Amino acid sequence: MLAVVRDLIRYNKEFTIGAVLVAIIVGFSCLSFFSPVDPTLVYLVPPERPPSTEYWFGTNSRGQDLFWQATFAIRNTLAFGLLVAVLSRIISLTVGLVAGYIGGWVDRVLMSINDVVVALPIFPILVLVYFVLRADLTTLKLAIVMACFGWPFDARLIRSIAVGLRHREFTHHAVFAGMSARKIMFEEHLPYVMPIVLSTAMANMIWSIGLSVTLAVLGFTDLNIPSIGTMLYWANNHSAMVVGTWWWIAVPVVLVVVTFVGLYLLAVSLNEYIDPRSRLRRMGGAALVSATSTLVAEGGAAPVPTLGADVRGEPEGRP
Amino acid sequence: MTENVLTVTSLKAYYRMAYFGVDREVRAVDDVTLSVRKNEVYGIAGESSSGKTTLIKTFASAIRPPLKIVGGSMTYHFENGDIDPYAAPKAKVDALRWSHLSYIMQGSMSLLNPVRRIRRTFEDFAFRPMGLPSSEFWGRVESHLQRLDLSPNVLSAYPHQLSGGMRQRVTIALATVCQPEFVIADEPTTALDVVVQKDVLAMIRDVQRQMGSSVVFVTHDMSVHANIADRIGIMYAGRLVEEGPTRTLLAAPRHPYTAHLVASLPRIGDTTPKVALEGRPPNLAEPPTGCRFHPRCPLAIEKCTTDVPPLEPVGLDHRSACWRSAEVRPLTRIGHQELEVAG
Repeated sequence: MLAVVRDLIRYNKEFTIGAVLVAIIVGFSCLSFFSPVDPTLVYLVPPERPPSTEYWFGTNSRGQDLFWQATFAIRNTLAFGLLVAVLSRIISLTVGLVAGYIGGWVDRVLMSINDVVVALPIFPILVLVYFVLRADLTTLKLAIVMACFGWPFDARLIRSIAVGLRHREFTHHAVFAGMSARKIMFEEHLPYVMPIVLSTAMANMIWSIGLSVTLAVLGFTDLNIPSIGTMLYWANNHSAMVVGTWWWIAVPVVLVVVTFVGLYLLAVSLNEYIDPRSRLRRMGGAALVSATSTLVAEGGAAPVPTLGADVRGEPEGRP
Repeated sequence: MTENVLTVTSLKAYYRMAYFGVDREVRAVDDVTLSVRKNEVYGIAGESSSGKTTLIKTFASAIRPPLKIVGGSMTYHFENGDIDPYAAPKAKVDALRWSHLSYIMQGSMSLLNPVRRIRRTFEDFAFRPMGLPSSEFWGRVESHLQRLDLSPNVLSAYPHQLSGGMRQRVTIALATVCQPEFVIADEPTTALDVVVQKDVLAMIRDVQRQMGSSVVFVTHDMSVHANIADRIGIMYAGRLVEEGPTRTLLAAPRHPYTAHLVASLPRIGDTTPKVALEGRPPNLAEPPTGCRFHPRCPLAIEKCTTDVPPLEPVGLDHRSACWRSAEVRPLTRIGHQELEVAG
């Protein structure tokens, strides 16, 4: 795994840039744990100060230091995106693998539901959910609701792979050996779709963060929790553009743009890594050489890097 | 007479399909009666689409629709009792898999999951049937691999890091690690060059001897059979047409089809042109009446077109399904030396 990351950094510029950007954002959000101030309190510092050596990102009209405010905001936003990605991945993996492996009417029912969810207009539904739940709409609940809408595209993708895997010899072999359907799906087939899931998870994070920011900017969320969206909401609320406190808008926008660009580059470069043809072209002979030199098997080992699988890495633990 | 491990009586397995309201029946295995003894290698030979793979799929009870068992019976006689896989409860049959009965499927090079290390595959397949504590289990696996001249290092490799021959040997090791009483091998040496093929065959033979188990071995390659099998059964168009000890069958076939099959073996120093059989194997959806071989048979008489010849003893341990079996002469003389190899 580490070797793969090393190779990606060495040969894939997109991956390097994306990894650096995401690392910066994650590092920045981690600063929130050392924050001297509570981000929910207001009028702690002189309001509307432009960025200076004392207040790096300036202060807003509510008397908050934007630097510490932004650390909390990006942390909450990232955590939200991650939560939605994980939850929706659980649904899409389950649906995709089950539909693909079991097939038949199970497949038809699941894919019908899938197609219905694809066609649903998500944003009006989320607004509706907000008006129904109001103050009860916590981050977790919103994440669950969004995960319920974020899975169908990937479920189809995973299903298409699982359908192919189902007819591969090694699956027949496993069935003959008496392996249960659950074990085949989640132990034999899951590692196959994992790289793709990883790549789509990033795209899903971008989607869910974008949607949650939209909701928050419009005020359809708990406004006391600092996030990129609520920062923008309060900035609009205090007419930051009119008053001239441009930094109040610029800080969250820059942060979220950097996050998006970083995640996008990671997703794209992982995609390229998953596709063996583009990976080989990119890495050229160097990857072949390093793959051969670390071969574990002796005698008759073939230096052929194959798709998807992590070619090198540490031996796994025994049961 | 040694004991049987598997007794099959007039087994019929058909593929039943309905296309556009027309029912079709492909009689891939029709009325097969045979038995496999303890501690022997039983080879099943025949050309493509003669029902070899279907037959052993039914042996392995690995059938799935549209293939159906239409008639006959099949009983395994394992150490822990007799069992008919098509009558016994599913749980009981599943318990047999791998510990008593294992199956090296066709295309054994791609039987290993490409995204899992070999170690994990061994764990998935053999850990539960073997029922040993972890450390003991891996000790057994490693010693088994060593016995098959494989380094225990292959355990931490991915299948794509191994060559085709090694993968095939790993698959055989995987199938035999639980010391099953009955091993079914479907063309385990196809796609290998002759040198590796020889190694793999020797390995199967060794494993079989060490474990005292029975192996049912399927291939269309008669020279492989000559090398490894104790007894050979010849399939033609879904029927067993001849069965006998390897030497007898090769030296004195008693069915015209077998005679041609044996004559097709390439041999050193043989300069006579090979006699090709006219025609193709019949369509199993509409097999010919009577003896299924009669349209291609040089010895065919009137009776062959109407009556199905029974598989009857024609010699010691030797059965043939031909009305004129007494008149069949070998088309080529198999030399003494070649039979030494066969033994």
